Amino acid sequence: MNYDSLIVFIVLFVVFAIVGFLSSRFRRGNGTKLNEWSLAGRKLGAYLAWFLVGGDLYTAYTFIAVPSAEYAKGSIYMFATPYVMATFAVALITMTTLWKMSRKNNYFTGVDFVKDKYKSTTLAILIALTGIVAELPYIALQIVGMKAVLQVLFAPFLHVTATATAVDDIALIVSFAVLAAFTFWSGLRGAALTAVMKDGIILSSVIVVVIAVPLTISGGFHHAFQLATTMGSAKAVYPTLSPKLTNAYISLFVLSALALYLYPHAINGVLGSKNVKAVRFSTAMLPIYGLGLFLLTIFGVLVFAVPAALHTIGYVSPANLGNGSLVVPALIAATMPQWFVGYAFLGIFIGGLVPAAIMAISQANLLTRNIIAEFRKDLTEKTEANIARWASVGFIFLALAFVFLIPPTYAISLQLLGGILITQTLPPIFVGMYTKFLDKNALIAGWIAGIGTGVYFVEAANNFGSPTNSLMSTPFGLLYVAAVALFINLVVVFIWSLAANTFKRSPSEEPQKA
Amino acid sequence: MVGNAGENSKKATRIYIAVAILLIIPFIAYVLLPTYDRISPKVAGISFFYWYQTLWLAISGVLFGIAAYMLNRLKEES
Repeated sequence: MNYDSLIVFIVLFVVFAIVGFLSSRFRRGNGTKLNEWSLAGRKLGAYLAWFLVGGDLYTAYTFIAVPSAEYAKGSIYMFATPYVMATFAVALITMTTLWKMSRKNNYFTGVDFVKDKYKSTTLAILIALTGIVAELPYIALQIVGMKAVLQVLFAPFLHVTATATAVDDIALIVSFAVLAAFTFWSGLRGAALTAVMKDGIILSSVIVVVIAVPLTISGGFHHAFQLATTMGSAKAVYPTLSPKLTNAYISLFVLSALALYLYPHAINGVLGSKNVKAVRFSTAMLPIYGLGLFLLTIFGVLVFAVPAALHTIGYVSPANLGNGSLVVPALIAATMPQWFVGYAFLGIFIGGLVPAAIMAISQANLLTRNIIAEFRKDLTEKTEANIARWASVGFIFLALAFVFLIPPTYAISLQLLGGILITQTLPPIFVGMYTKFLDKNALIAGWIAGIGTGVYFVEAANNFGSPTNSLMSTPFGLLYVAAVALFINLVVVFIWSLAANTFKRSPSEEPQKA
Repeated sequence: MVGNAGENSKKATRIYIAVAILLIIPFIAYVLLPTYDRISPKVAGISFFYWYQTLWLAISGVLFGIAAYMLNRLKEES
């Protein structure tokens, strides 16, 4: 038996752990301050910021979810490509503004800005909670992606399913213990430097696979697309997009792009940058990074031309496509030499760990700065940093527990809901950065309206079951639920603010809360 | 945030407008779905729908790079 894949995987994982621990020495500062731990002392240059933020794009979840969705549902998932473009156009504007304000006023999170701007503790806590809640299934999905890799990695060695599952679980727990330890130790520095290693491995493997696989199959992409059309789901269209889905496609890419930089982990990476030029330069270069995402999407079509990979996935017929989340690992295992399989799998595996670390750090920040500190005004900087460190460990294991307790399909549904929830924090953060017009109570009302209608519509679109579909019928055709909910949110915020501003002229101005 | 003298502020405005245009161009390209939602011409067996969008991602990178360069040259944050 050939153990090359396993050996390469384990050796590289050890290297990864060492990098994670040693990175605490990178541009070291006073480790007892929250600033140092959670924002790497705000010393990241353009390249590290690029990797750190880009690292959120190439996660284990993207690796698994985008190709599997393309495989099962067809070309609508090509929206990942314009999404990358739109995300960074939005970020180029909003994140440079946020960075400047943060440096001036010492903000650590987007919520710090909300609190400072509107002087409303209620609003700040609502936004912080939305961030923490939306982030949780995101981390959980990284773990789901990592499990898919382990499953294919161990499959040749362990034939008894029960043993294989146990080994997967143990491997996951060990790697999360390592991750929690170095996140605790190195903070954002650990995430930034391991992100470089992760992306180096991931990008090189994606490029190799995309070049190698079409060469090994007769007829290349042309053949793969033909097979997809005959063998793929009867409801899915592969080579083009059904005209019915035009508005759905646009709303998906625009709204998902607006959402990414509302997630606390994305803001966290930006605020760790050392100057505004680093933010701008790294953001502008990120669409190039996104080219790999297109290559991944196309894996969902290529797999139809590789019978051995279809076998691993468990493909039966167009009505039963098997476990789509195995598309990428199965394709790599079926076409590449063993040592390369170990290399690429490790890339995807740490592709789950690194974002999980960044997400847990940003959750810890929100919890410490924007929730605990609201009730305990006397926290010293040192205590604040300690709480955040322990909280990050807590969040990492909470997400792990989540995966063991909840089936993967549920995790995907919750992530889908999380995207709709996080979008509802757009008015106070993105709109609020550019205008003084918004009223704090209007923003709270808008948040309630957006979250309420968002959850209702997504449930209605799924017949009040577990959500798997995020599109709803509207007079404009199918639209992404988040678009409709955000529209309602904005209408409420606008009308209420207009009314509030009109009546505010009276001398009975509300006293501002501390 | 904008430069101090009138001359500088005029220049800054021109740059902001140019940047806005650079950022909007890719949105227009992607929103006009009917212009690229088709199979041919194919490249290496990949339908137009896929490769055209990918090409625009590369173009966006270049446009955003120019925008970032122009903004970085403005001496607004020193």
